[in-house]
Amino acid sequence: MNKTALIYSFNTKKTGKIAERIKEEMGDDNLHVLNAEEITEESFLSFDQFILGVPTWFDGELPNYWDEFVPALEDMDLKGKRFALFGLGDQKGYPENFLDGMGIMAEILEGQGAGLVGFTSTEGYEFESSRAARGDQFAGLAIDYENQGSMNKERVKAWVEGLKKEFS
Amino acid sequence: MSKEKLYSIKKTDKETLAKWFKLMLVGRAIDDRAPNYLKQAIGWSYHAPYAGHDGIQLAIGQVFEREHDHLFPYYRDMLTAHSAGMSAEELILNGISRDADVAGGGRHMSNHFAKPAWNIHNVSSCTGNHALHAVGVARAIKKYKVPGVAISSQGESSVSEGYVYEAINGASNEKLPVIFVIQDNGYGISVPKADQTANRKVANNFTGFKNLKIFHCNGKDVFDSMNTMHEAKEYVAKHEHPVIVQANCVRIHSHSNSDRHDLYRDDYELNYVHAYDPLAKFRRLLLRYDRFTEAEIEALENEAKDIVKAAHKVGMNSPNPTPDSIHEFVIPEPYVSEKYPEGLHNHEGEPKKLIEGLNETLKAEFRHNPDTFIWGQDVAHKEKGGIFNVTKGMQQEFGKDRVFNGPIAEDFIMGTANGMSRFNEKLRIVVEGAEFADYFWPAMEQFVETTHEYWRTKGQFSPNVTVRLASGGYIGGGLYHSQTIESSLAPLPGVRIVYPSYADDAAGLLRTSMRSRGLTLFLEPKALYNAPKVATPIPDDFEVPFGKARIRREGSDLSIITYGNTTPMCVELAEKFSKEGTASLEVLDLRSLSPLDTDAVVATAKKTGKVLVVHEDKVFGGFGGELVAQINELAFEYLDGPVRRVGSTFTPVGFNRILESAILPDLERIEAAATDLLNY
Repeated sequence: MNKTALIYSFNTKKTGKIAERIKEEMGDDNLHVLNAEEITEESFLSFDQFILGVPTWFDGELPNYWDEFVPALEDMDLKGKRFALFGLGDQKGYPENFLDGMGIMAEILEGQGAGLVGFTSTEGYEFESSRAARGDQFAGLAIDYENQGSMNKERVKAWVEGLKKEFS
Repeated sequence: MSKEKLYSIKKTDKETLAKWFKLMLVGRAIDDRAPNYLKQAIGWSYHAPYAGHDGIQLAIGQVFEREHDHLFPYYRDMLTAHSAGMSAEELILNGISRDADVAGGGRHMSNHFAKPAWNIHNVSSCTGNHALHAVGVARAIKKYKVPGVAISSQGESSVSEGYVYEAINGASNEKLPVIFVIQDNGYGISVPKADQTANRKVANNFTGFKNLKIFHCNGKDVFDSMNTMHEAKEYVAKHEHPVIVQANCVRIHSHSNSDRHDLYRDDYELNYVHAYDPLAKFRRLLLRYDRFTEAEIEALENEAKDIVKAAHKVGMNSPNPTPDSIHEFVIPEPYVSEKYPEGLHNHEGEPKKLIEGLNETLKAEFRHNPDTFIWGQDVAHKEKGGIFNVTKGMQQEFGKDRVFNGPIAEDFIMGTANGMSRFNEKLRIVVEGAEFADYFWPAMEQFVETTHEYWRTKGQFSPNVTVRLASGGYIGGGLYHSQTIESSLAPLPGVRIVYPSYADDAAGLLRTSMRSRGLTLFLEPKALYNAPKVATPIPDDFEVPFGKARIRREGSDLSIITYGNTTPMCVELAEKFSKEGTASLEVLDLRSLSPLDTDAVVATAKKTGKVLVVHEDKVFGGFGGELVAQINELAFEYLDGPVRRVGSTFTPVGFNRILESAILPDLERIEAAATDLLNY
């Protein structure tokens, strides 16, 4: 597999746990783990494949550390680069904005020419609306720690298996 | 955040970024410092910190143009006010309620920032109440075809108030230039927004409204807020209809200094709201994208500290208001009649009915002053001109721009009158506050609010509004159609209350109301609209000053003090007693309840030594109690008997005519009381 970056905030608990699990499942020496809160444009652009951890904050927002990186992203040419996103949301507490953060990130990346991989089915989730939903699929892995935490392991495993095929 | 947006961390010029940052630093320094004033017993006992709303508040102030916009900030809008131009000194003077406070000299609660001279309006503590004022002034902007928008800024929980719905509905229906900014921090004091409404984003409750665009933005982000407010303002100008901007914010601190948020927010939440701090985020962006060096930022931070320090010094040396100033600016001086200083005339001519007097005076004043407007329920639809036809023919003559229907929403009718009169001093507004006086209660919070304005702003804003209401019973109308309301409203300072009985007085008082500055409640005895017994000749230019009672019949044995529907009954009794040779009764028609002609009341009491107070309202708690008290205080030594009262029973007014007759005062009861007192 090509040099792949797994990027998430090291200050997070739930996102961090999922990232750790992904890392285990990936089991690849080419996986470079980076802290989203310290990421620079230069280090970001040195990768061609990405796994980004994007939880949704509040009523459907990107976390500050990603939001503050958006101005940099908006000036990047991401053509040829591939991104897999995993998002965390609360489908019962915030059903109107379930995984919006992941959806916002997906839109920004696509706007810069990036390719997205790792879509998952929306089956098994109940929510009102989500910017991450594309028809019957999410633009990445959908994790709901609050309401479906027991399914995390299985969901991560299945997602990573698929990713391995999609990433080169 | 997209490339097409006007503002971004990379594109916005350095000078602008520095200006914004300095505004945010000064605002936050005062926000953080405000609780210290209370701890030191200096003042600022009410402080609602804005930290966490920084992005949207900066943006509201930046898009506001004082030359033609109108801004209605709420009690958490410190940075909004600062960004709109109010200085650090002005914020502190408001916070510690000094005489030099530009909002109103310390008369209004702290943290209610305003500068009426710049159209930064002084608003109520009733949350979201000013949404109706924004709609009202926007109506004037539209009618006078001038540029400008009204910005109503408020918290998300205020949208639970019915009048906010009325405001948004009205703006949508009338297509008015209003930006409703909803600053959503998730709480109404301690009440989470889930307990307010089903949608987490309350703006989405209004998605079905026509002529209304809804924007969402991140109120914690300067650029998203600036871009959204800019776009919203452009949208209003282009599409000529209102918008809602819902800004996601966080409340970093407690609701106010009387609230403890640690009682209902856990550590996780308290941590994450701090992580969201918009000021810290903006600072990080300035550094991350190399727009400022650390040294430059520190220089700006030091500059901000110096500004706040200097403002604090000015504030502390600024005097408090004086106790003897309390009677200033309760209500503006009224129009002065030079021709009819006592409100009396000797005109001879064909008697006109009371309703004709009102209708003709309204029309005459609308011809006299092109800046007059009237609206209310039912006032103008083809041949219909009000539930009692008082406004008949007005829309045909003066057009739909000046004479128009209001929705069945009394609070909207009243609140937009308050708001529209903020447009400029020349406007004179008349509203039919409700179909019947006792339907007026839904408007009560706006009515009470309007009575505060002149005093609260220390004379900077006068709501020049006449509220007409068809009052009282004797029509078999029952509840909501036959009751009187004046005794509940007379204790309110800041409003004049008149209640004429005869056609000429009705015409004269209406003219004075419509030419005066300030708020007047004009109660009309609807049972007498077409009654021949109160029809009189009316001079075309008749005027009756406020606070001038009229002796409708001279007498020497007993005085009856009365007003409204009962005046002609008392006159009839006086005539009867005169014919019978029973007694000589003097009938004093108050005409105005507030201000009250105390001199005339005392004079008639001294003259006859016996006083009977008669009114349609209930005896218990009725306005007569005030009259009796004043007579006791000022003319006790002249009395030859107790002051007695006749009024309605302490019951609601029944619909069945038998019930109504048993409840309301009539000639028979007045005669019995007068006879009893004469024999005392």
